[in-house]
Amino acid sequence: MAFDKMELQKIEVWDGNFAAAQALRQCQIDVVAAYPITPSTPIVEGYAKFLSDNYIEGEFVMVESEHAAMSGCVGAAAAGGRVATATSSQGFALMVEVLYQASGMRLPIVLNVVNRALAAPLNVNGDHSDMYLGRDSGWIQLDAFAPQEAYDLNFIAFKVAEDHDIRLPAMVHQDGFMTSHTAQGVYTLTDDEAYGFVGEYKPMNDMLDFEHPVTHGVQTEEDWHFEHKARQHNDLMTKVFPKIQAAFDAFEKLSGRKYNIVEKYDMNDADVCVVCMGTSVETAREVATEMREKGIKAGVVGLRVIRPFPFFEIAEALKDVKAIAALDRSSPNGAPGMLFNEIAGALFNTDKRALLSGYVYGLGGRDLTKAHLVSLYTELQANVDAGKVTTQLQQFIGVRGPKLAFL
Amino acid sequence: MSEIKKVKNLKEFSTSADRFEGANLLCPGCAHSIIVREVLNATNNDLILSASTGCLEVCTAVYPYTSWDASWIHIGFENGSTAVAGAETMYKALKKKGRLKQPEREPKFVSFAGDGASYDIGFQWISGCMERGHNIMHVVLDNEVYANTGGQRSSSTPIGSSATTSPAGRVSYGEKKNKKDMIAIMAAHQIPYAAQVAPNKWKDMVKKIQHGMAVDGPVFINAISPCTTEWKFDPKDTMHIADLATDSLVFPLYEIIDNHELNITYRPKNVIPVEEYLAAQGRFKHLFKDEYKYLIKEWQERVDEKWAYLNRREEARV
Amino acid sequence: MMKKGWDEFEIGAMLRTFDGKIDDIAGTLQEDRAYSENSSFVASVADWRINKPIFNKDFCIDCQFCWVYCPDISIISRDKKMIGIDMDHCKGCGICVEVCPTNPKSLLMFPEKSDEETELATWPAKNKETK
Repeated sequence: MAFDKMELQKIEVWDGNFAAAQALRQCQIDVVAAYPITPSTPIVEGYAKFLSDNYIEGEFVMVESEHAAMSGCVGAAAAGGRVATATSSQGFALMVEVLYQASGMRLPIVLNVVNRALAAPLNVNGDHSDMYLGRDSGWIQLDAFAPQEAYDLNFIAFKVAEDHDIRLPAMVHQDGFMTSHTAQGVYTLTDDEAYGFVGEYKPMNDMLDFEHPVTHGVQTEEDWHFEHKARQHNDLMTKVFPKIQAAFDAFEKLSGRKYNIVEKYDMNDADVCVVCMGTSVETAREVATEMREKGIKAGVVGLRVIRPFPFFEIAEALKDVKAIAALDRSSPNGAPGMLFNEIAGALFNTDKRALLSGYVYGLGGRDLTKAHLVSLYTELQANVDAGKVTTQLQQFIGVRGPKLAFL
Repeated sequence: MSEIKKVKNLKEFSTSADRFEGANLLCPGCAHSIIVREVLNATNNDLILSASTGCLEVCTAVYPYTSWDASWIHIGFENGSTAVAGAETMYKALKKKGRLKQPEREPKFVSFAGDGASYDIGFQWISGCMERGHNIMHVVLDNEVYANTGGQRSSSTPIGSSATTSPAGRVSYGEKKNKKDMIAIMAAHQIPYAAQVAPNKWKDMVKKIQHGMAVDGPVFINAISPCTTEWKFDPKDTMHIADLATDSLVFPLYEIIDNHELNITYRPKNVIPVEEYLAAQGRFKHLFKDEYKYLIKEWQERVDEKWAYLNRREEARV
Repeated sequence: MMKKGWDEFEIGAMLRTFDGKIDDIAGTLQEDRAYSENSSFVASVADWRINKPIFNKDFCIDCQFCWVYCPDISIISRDKKMIGIDMDHCKGCGICVEVCPTNPKSLLMFPEKSDEETELATWPAKNKETK
């Protein structure tokens, strides 16, 4: 039974989850092995409904855990076809063992991660703890700030991950609830446009090629392991960005929507800026505009690509600012935040080192309000005026009780 | 449907072209590779294989060598069954979509795992695969211990066995728990076929593997794999120990079809005492001290009881 | 195999068993297969052995017990006949000798350094005490 195509409106009202489910449908995945977890569940449910209504020809397996979901994805990807799944939080944590296996075996799986806090205490709301947990796993990590981007970045993810020069798995991140459950207008591609963009899957080292048997998942000890890990790191460092840029360019041509590895907002003449990810980017943009009315030249930098880390792109974006706030939405638990550290590393050997301070915010779905950002920008301007960081280097925003700051 | 390979006798079986290679790193006298050869040689179909972490895996795919002539995958300790189930799912998808490179082939999907990777850490993954009805065969290489890591107890380790985490000592006779009845648990998943096999009974093995590969749906095979290193016997005696296991009925050979029809497939002409099986292995040596001899008697009673139960099940056809 | 640098091997630590294409593995005997340098078939574990089996074809009845119970795929049988031992892959476990049913046995273990011709010339006679 041939599957049916779906007629979409030019603009549909979708939340991030449904946008991701639609993108997966349009990419014509061969195997989805999945396990439901809040807030990513509707991606899987949406996909299942498409299957029930004959909009999907591929196989869909609901397994017994997230670990099994990623295990099934690895087996399916090694067999030789397009593979995707979705998860959040604790499910992501359960998958972690297999995430490293997937990237080490160079299997281009696409994982939609709807970001959510990690227990304990248990929490279903959005923060970036799960996203941060994945950052050393050898996957490409793309970050969507809104439902439109959750949709678009899935196409980018397949295009880059499956490229034979890359062959690395990719995550598409979106904020739990704030993106995943917030319906917005989403500009669509037709089914043909979308599938035409990602293209037919081209197998490589596929187990199902019976004329060329392959062994996947070998053991390497001290005499080989380092070389394989070095190769993977090399490919992440040198090959991924050019492919992402090429995919962004091609996507712009197709859709008119332009993406950048580092998304800059009002950065041309900014004195102070916020670097952040997810839905906070949009809030910060609004506040930055308002700060300019108050005479503070504020800008925003959003990370579209988290891994590989855009070391030079971020240094370039920040080269003319005087004060930077790095916003981390995951508890660093005994260290500066990840963004603070990465930005510090990117700027340390440059001539123009702005004043850098770090903020931890929004854990477990706590709102980052415009008021928070107004005082944050005001603090940055005070740093500029004083010519030094006037606060402690790490501050918590929006937590009750006495002010919490360190370093 | 593909034809089932004709194996009338051992001479005919010996014309098989092995798809598992030597110069693997398994111990001399290891039963794992005997079982793997018997399983793979039971069919001429193409194969997609997996192994969970364990002796078989670490000894047959150490870079830059592989001992596998069919496509093979290893992910982790717990998920070899799911890895092969994923590959089987991809096969179904590509078949439906007309994208198989050799669409005329009819591959069989087999997952090998030790008792630790099956009874313990991989239990949930196997249960999921069985419940979902993947067309795969999971073969346990049951050496009743974590042999790869030096002999820790698993839930397949039998009472009285001395394992490194349940060692016999001045006040202990070793493992205190009885072996888990994995076949009954797997059969209860309503799978079409579950069976217990032993490498010394090659014909029974081949017949069961062929039956398992012919049915539609998941198959569970538990193969006893005498371990020269951890059971502590001379490598040359592997098949002798396997004979003692099957002929003492410590390891009865039977099959369960559709979770109701139970057939005993091997009835020893001369049933030997359990004591002989135990005496041949260093892991049970301490049981022959006076204070532990009652355990040998209990062993015999347990074996007799299980055998009687299997016979009742066979007769009742339920 | 030479130890390659990080940029010289297949990504994902993937190994191929054969060079080029193989059509029907189950229908192709080992001598007719194009094994790659990554198949353990091309490697040797001969140095593991302390004792080695010697095959005396004069007494062999081609029952194939040694073939089926050899853990190391080292009994070479072709056309239902036992024709020799693969000494690159034999680890010297001695199972083949134990399962050999002939009298005298057609396979016996000897120290690795023994001379095959000498041992065959002085092969034990039929043992009348066992059947």
